[in-house]
Amino acid sequence: MKELVLIFISTVLINNFVLTYFLGICPFLGVSGRLSSAIGMGFSVIFVMTFASSIAWLIYHLILVKLNLVFLEYIVFILVIASLVQIVEMFVRKYSPSLYQALGIYLPLITTNCAILGCALFMVARNYNFLEAVVYGFSAGLGFTVVLLVMAGIREELNYCEVPKVFRGAPITLITAGLLALCFMGFSGLIRA
Amino acid sequence: MNEIIIKGLAVMGGLGLAFSVTLAYLSHRLKVESNPLVEKVLDILPGINCGACGFSSCRNFAEAIVAERKPFTCIPGGEDVNRKVSQLLGIQSQEVKRVKAVVHCGATKDEKKVSSFYVGPTSCAFVDITLGGLDCKYGCIGLGDCVSVCPAGAISIKRGKVVIDIKKCIGCGRCAKVCPRNLFELVPWQGESKIYFVACNNEEKVGYVKTVCERGCIGCGICVRIKDSPFYLQNNLSHINYQQISNEEILEEAKNKCPTKCIQELNA
Repeated sequence: MKELVLIFISTVLINNFVLTYFLGICPFLGVSGRLSSAIGMGFSVIFVMTFASSIAWLIYHLILVKLNLVFLEYIVFILVIASLVQIVEMFVRKYSPSLYQALGIYLPLITTNCAILGCALFMVARNYNFLEAVVYGFSAGLGFTVVLLVMAGIREELNYCEVPKVFRGAPITLITAGLLALCFMGFSGLIRA
Repeated sequence: MNEIIIKGLAVMGGLGLAFSVTLAYLSHRLKVESNPLVEKVLDILPGINCGACGFSSCRNFAEAIVAERKPFTCIPGGEDVNRKVSQLLGIQSQEVKRVKAVVHCGATKDEKKVSSFYVGPTSCAFVDITLGGLDCKYGCIGLGDCVSVCPAGAISIKRGKVVIDIKKCIGCGRCAKVCPRNLFELVPWQGESKIYFVACNNEEKVGYVKTVCERGCIGCGICVRIKDSPFYLQNNLSHINYQQISNEEILEEAKNKCPTKCIQELNA
């Protein structure tokens, strides 16, 4: 139990996927313009990440390790993620059209989100057991969502600021992301080894 | 060595097959019934989601028109699109009034007088409620709220003055909704090469107009006194009645006679 809580806190705050590993930067910068779309994107990522890391764990340990085919992990994980996103999309479309409309283009975009592939690879590299892998996937998604929402909130407020002309648009966004990453470094002393 | 290749191929093939079978099965089971007509209508529509029809997107418009079979009009699509949609659904086609936006302020940055300095959010709406920035309380603030909402990219700001490209303008009227000073007017357009308009919105008397702007309409009435003139004065401001325009020469004459040069034209 202690292990699981540790994994949860360290993945959400300390080793945050976006601000510490710099994974999934493209949706982080692309979808953080408005808070409403950031929420949609965040929840889709949580959903897909949790399922992707648990199914990837099953396939890795039950098939690839047994057959000595570990070198196939990259290509297998990509296959898993892509198919999973498709399945999730179909379910959402059928059972919740309003959620489907709200998520819009972000659901298929997750297929190419490197944070999710990274999550599956880290989970394997750290030799997690199944429960740990599920918690790891969920907290990685949650960490992504938290950072995305914080960033979207800041960028919405930035619209009302007098930004110097040379910094408008992409430069101020990157500076904000950098400052946010610096802030998250403050969490690195949260847990004593 | 060979064994690994065979096993790898078998595992990848097996996984791929398993996933594709699952996907195929699920796509069959979870099929969402949608009216094919909606897709057909959607193909005809311009697909720019401008909102001029009163729906938030072209898809919503297509769904409504298929479900209710009532004639709606798609303003940016023009006659062509509306005729095709009506034919497809077998409903009465409606006459489309094509409109273009004009802006009732034609003064450049140097011509508008500014005696207070505004520091704050760069949005016309803010400047309007804080009464800062510009002395003329009717005129264009020039921070471009309209530029950012225009779905066709037809509006630009040149030297502090809003310029509309009437080739690009689709007449959706988003700019008219967002402008805090109601400077935009949608005027009927039947393919003329030029649109004339009064580039001022100041309803005060000459004395006040002259103190805030060099380009303002002073309500002299020279344009109204031309024979068969479509111009009329209201609240010290000249307006054009676009229904009464008989020929362009009168408008050209009025434009040349205007002492403050605030009757302007947009070229297609």
